[in-house]
Amino acid sequence: MKSLSHTVWRMGALGATLVVATAGATLAQDKALTIGLTADPSHLYPLAGEELSSNIMYYHLYDPLVSRSPELEFGPGLAESWETVDPTTWRFKLREGVTFHNGNAFTASDVVFTVEKARASIRPDLVASIASVTAIDDLTVEIKTPTPYAVLPNDLAELLILDEEYTTATGDEQMDLKPMGTGPYKLEEWIKEERLVLSAFDDYWGGAPKIKTVTFRPITNPATRTAALLTGEVDVVQDLAVRDVDRVRNEEGFEVITRPSLLNVVLAMDTRPESPTIEGPNPMVDQRVREAIARAIDVDAINKIVMNGLATPSTQYVPASHLGYVDGMDFRQMYPVDIDKAKALMAEAGFPDGFTMTLDATNNRYVNDAQIAQALASMLAKINVTLNLNIMPKSNFWGYIRVPSDNSSFIMSGWDVPSGDAGSMYAALFYSRDKKEGYGQVNRSSYSNPEVDALVDKADATPDVAERDAILQEATKLLMADIPMIPVHYEQDIYGVRDGVKLTPRTDKFLSAFEMDIE
Amino acid sequence: MLGYLLKRLFQMLLVLWVVSLVVFLMMSFTGDPVFMIVPIDATDSEIEQARRILGLDKSLPVQYWIFISSLLQGDFGQSYVFRQPAMALILERMPATIEMVVVAMVLAVVVAIPLGVYAGANPNGRLSRMIMAGSLLGISLPGFWVGMVLIYLFAVHWGIFPSSGRGDTAEVFGLRISLATWDGWHHIALPAITLSLGTMAILLRMTRAGMMEVARQDYMKFARAKGATRHDVLYKHGLKNALIPVVTIFGLQLGDLIAFATITETIFSWPGMGKLLIDSIYRADRPVIVVYLMLVALIFVVINFLVDIIYTLIDPRITLK
Repeated sequence: MKSLSHTVWRMGALGATLVVATAGATLAQDKALTIGLTADPSHLYPLAGEELSSNIMYYHLYDPLVSRSPELEFGPGLAESWETVDPTTWRFKLREGVTFHNGNAFTASDVVFTVEKARASIRPDLVASIASVTAIDDLTVEIKTPTPYAVLPNDLAELLILDEEYTTATGDEQMDLKPMGTGPYKLEEWIKEERLVLSAFDDYWGGAPKIKTVTFRPITNPATRTAALLTGEVDVVQDLAVRDVDRVRNEEGFEVITRPSLLNVVLAMDTRPESPTIEGPNPMVDQRVREAIARAIDVDAINKIVMNGLATPSTQYVPASHLGYVDGMDFRQMYPVDIDKAKALMAEAGFPDGFTMTLDATNNRYVNDAQIAQALASMLAKINVTLNLNIMPKSNFWGYIRVPSDNSSFIMSGWDVPSGDAGSMYAALFYSRDKKEGYGQVNRSSYSNPEVDALVDKADATPDVAERDAILQEATKLLMADIPMIPVHYEQDIYGVRDGVKLTPRTDKFLSAFEMDIE
Repeated sequence: MLGYLLKRLFQMLLVLWVVSLVVFLMMSFTGDPVFMIVPIDATDSEIEQARRILGLDKSLPVQYWIFISSLLQGDFGQSYVFRQPAMALILERMPATIEMVVVAMVLAVVVAIPLGVYAGANPNGRLSRMIMAGSLLGISLPGFWVGMVLIYLFAVHWGIFPSSGRGDTAEVFGLRISLATWDGWHHIALPAITLSLGTMAILLRMTRAGMMEVARQDYMKFARAKGATRHDVLYKHGLKNALIPVVTIFGLQLGDLIAFATITETIFSWPGMGKLLIDSIYRADRPVIVVYLMLVALIFVVINFLVDIIYTLIDPRITLK
């Protein structure tokens, strides 16, 4: 470690000499990049809240103990290595010689401070898997989990480390405006809604960033974003509008980069004996009815007609990169579109004439969400299920569908698991409600299967990742057979990039200038 | 005059109080802001903690009481989303909006008044008809469409103007002003034109109607008869008398543009305060919405007051009581 920090230091010194020697030339060669985002960040203080633009800034300014690669692989971050002492005790060896942007040294007490600070903040969920944390020495921390928990490092990739001294002195409100982390970039200037400029932190422990200045510009209107790319005002745009994809592709000097996102659009079916929007007994208690609904939904047609081909049909509840994914298992092959079979299943279950229920969906949260809901209504009509649509903006939606979902029978929402682990999703969405604190809190289907509960418990009791993976795969198989929810598709993340900019999109959608380069 | 001022002041306080009350009540029907802030898999205790931190755990009347009593101490409350003082969020975005609106309004007046006078004085001329047809377009074309077309033509196709943003600014009396730099003018041109079109058309039509009305008056003929030039008759005798309704509309439009320039701001990603209002409505960020709308009410009251004073300057027969 020592040697690495020395090299970094020497490289820094060399850089300084060069700057002195050829000040003008170096300045001209400094790589600068302008990125058009969909929105201005709300925060620069990681404990103040969470949304995409803020997340992007957090990871430029701060570092977590455990880093997360663009492909969701987890590796050393501010922690160099870690080991389990016993099933609930982890010891993290911290990187030596790391400094915050103000020159303060990064030590174990900063980690302890961050955990305690998060606990009292609006984001206690960040440290939900941590029972206690102690500093063993300046560069070693010991973290205890409430129960054996194999994926603690994955969770830690979301906890960004604060400088104890600076954060205490600055206060929560000002932290949003004057961030101070160990990350690859420092805040240069932030003019709200206009631009946010970051400059490279040349003493960064991971090496000096290649791009020296990054300017983020919030451009909310999709068409304006495209125009700004085409006029050369920005080099990269996030969320290129679907209708502009062909236009940008055909333009000389630009490139469109797409990749499936992590966000799985899912349909939750109520499994209670009586459901708020269904008269009489709830048919969806019967697995055959749930299967019939699955078979009536033509995801490929939705992709073609509603999504312009820019969606990836989901094969399971989590993507292939995640723990708990069963290789080769495909929901679309298990339940291919088959109206006759679906009708037969409905008849077998005793509902040949179908039934009526309401679908709750958003109109401003997912790509073409309201149109997907309309498509679902016409598809389910073929098996005599009459779908009334209850479509609302997201500001009303989350409170409306909230568990115990007193208003809902059938809900369309999205779910992503950036921690790369099906366990957290299964615990939140499929674990029986009200059995255990922190489990089943978003179980919108009111699904309850003792076998699934037992598997989730078992997964959350092993400190071994491979074992956890195996247990979660069992749970996946059970769930895919029982169908408490129908996975629909992953949206596509679409970027527009000018030639010469090297961008590999991240699965978690967090644009990172540190990972980019300009030719 | 003093009595008039006091009466106006009292009315203003009443208006502000009603606005705050209405917004508070309205917001209780929209979504629960806490769900806009916590992650979707938050547990009950995490949601409760967030509620407590934001002060949403108290009943609505108590929340309103806290809001009003801190308001009297000069504290306008904190945004749920940004966790920053609501007033500061609005004020830091305000100069950009005011600047764009001022340019748009000046543009509108400079174009609309002469054209309106001309069209009113020569109602049957060919040029007048073209002006009127143009003004009809100005009223009926929606701002977002005009903005997109301008961006497409002037930024993407011809590359004359930048598509969006505010450009360089210079500091004047501590405020960041883009009108002080060439790059700033370059950036403000398209949004200001987009914003001005509607107002321009309305002012033009008001001026024309007023001019046609006064042109029939006897004093116009007398003025002409005593030997005043046509230009003097139109602009000195005619325009002054035709101006009262124009000033009224001007005041209302000014307030309207400052408060709700949202669409133009969004299209040109102009960093003004209108966008803040829309974002806050989407996120159910009540503290910002309340303060914003109270500020808007204040702006309207002040503008109306100024308009009243301008009436007395234009027409000495009018007095303020």
